[in-house]
Amino acid sequence: MPSFPDSAWFLTLGQLMLAEGELFRRLGYAETRFAVRVVPNNMSNGGDQIVGLVIDGYQLTEVTPVADLNEYDPDFVICGKREIWDRMLGEIEENGRPQLRHTLSSLALVGEELWLESTDQLREDKFYRFNQTLQELLNLASKVPA
Amino acid sequence: MGAVHIKDEERVGSEATIRLEPSVYLQKLYQSGTPDLGWMDQMGEWGVRAKPGNLGLRLKDIEIGSYGIVPEHGGEHRSMAPRGAVIPEGLPSLGFTINEKSECWADNVSELYEEAVARQWSSARDIPWTELKPLPDDLERAMCQLCTFLTEVEFIAADAPTRWMGQMNHDFFEVKMFLATQAMDEARHMDVFRKRALANGGGLGKASVLSELSLKRIFDCPSFSAQTGRLQLLGEGFVLTMFRQGEFLAPSRVDQEIFRRCMQDESRHVGFGTMHLRAQLKANPAVAEELHVQLDDAERILLETFSVPEAVEPMAILMGGGIKNFDKGMELQGQLWRRIVHEYLQRCDSAGLDRRPRCILPTDFNKLFEAN
Repeated sequence: MPSFPDSAWFLTLGQLMLAEGELFRRLGYAETRFAVRVVPNNMSNGGDQIVGLVIDGYQLTEVTPVADLNEYDPDFVICGKREIWDRMLGEIEENGRPQLRHTLSSLALVGEELWLESTDQLREDKFYRFNQTLQELLNLASKVPA
Repeated sequence: MGAVHIKDEERVGSEATIRLEPSVYLQKLYQSGTPDLGWMDQMGEWGVRAKPGNLGLRLKDIEIGSYGIVPEHGGEHRSMAPRGAVIPEGLPSLGFTINEKSECWADNVSELYEEAVARQWSSARDIPWTELKPLPDDLERAMCQLCTFLTEVEFIAADAPTRWMGQMNHDFFEVKMFLATQAMDEARHMDVFRKRALANGGGLGKASVLSELSLKRIFDCPSFSAQTGRLQLLGEGFVLTMFRQGEFLAPSRVDQEIFRRCMQDESRHVGFGTMHLRAQLKANPAVAEELHVQLDDAERILLETFSVPEAVEPMAILMGGGIKNFDKGMELQGQLWRRIVHEYLQRCDSAGLDRRPRCILPTDFNKLFEAN
């Protein structure tokens, strides 16, 4: 089975998003091109994994491994160590959502465990404009077959 | 038609002060039986066939041909005649005073309008109120004071910009439509924070003289752009960070949902303000000084507003998870302060306003209480 952050894992998330269409339609459409960057727990080892994602409306329309972030030109990149992503996904698997202070927005606010990278504040602000959609998308991880 | 009963029909018009003159056109129509149809030759650009995209027919989909051109100068007729329609003689002016595109426009305004319409929510339906559980007294009091503050300040972002709406040339109708969504958003924010304060055994706390002073200064701004700088760039940007803090410090899922949804709305307002100032500063670089003067004063009042117990302590209590962890809460506040200042200055950069040398917000939280 695919595992986070493989492209296949995100593609499964995309299929679940499609299946949960009513939830996402109720939140309203989203339009953003962003990336998820998974940093190894031992940061000095290098070897980040980066996946580029596009949400167009109510669908995840693009999932692609990214080698060059400049070339991919995302609105924002959500970065975090492997253990932080694993903790969040573990909580989602268990409860359908992360603990209160472990949501995407909460972690990125403090900026230590997750942090955002962007070339422009206006583009970074899309993380907030579509935050509920991003969180609900990730919460679908509870339905990805283990 | 005769079947519709009109109450006291014989009294209708019996005391009218204006005499009804028969229509020359209708007389001719009924005598000849031939419609005029002259209006059929007076159309704007004809043959337009806008095609919906995957998300329906949006404003950007009808920006076709001449209809897609937003003029630099609004129509001289100063009326609400639709942009692109045939403009007849004799239209009464509505006296619009904002007639230059740069005075109100933002290149993302249509996108933000459609997004706002699509992402509306209901505080009654979408917040899981039934999951609200009693909180320890200190947390509930802190949450209620925070909600009081937000209930007090949120609607300024509806009241203030809509004062300019009626003065904007109607050729820039997209801006008016966006501001209408912002007013709706702020109504919902005022409503949801008031509901939250009254929903869990607490109530409203203390209003603030300094907040009111801040609101008054926004209200009294001399131009739409000056107000946008003060309200959208600094005020809404700051409240956006507060909503993000609210999402973080929320003691329950109910509170988290409230803050997250408000955060989404608020970031649209900040996005509009940033892009409007970018357009305005590009067209009129001299406006920068007017904006700086507004922000000098706004930053000072902001610092004063957040130097009183009822503003500082609720956030610290919620951040720390209770009075017992007050110090931890203040420490977290200090960490977040840098982010607030950083994001504000980034937005100024994005708007094309070099605010860094004039900014009086210290980047170090300790400067707020340490003597020089």
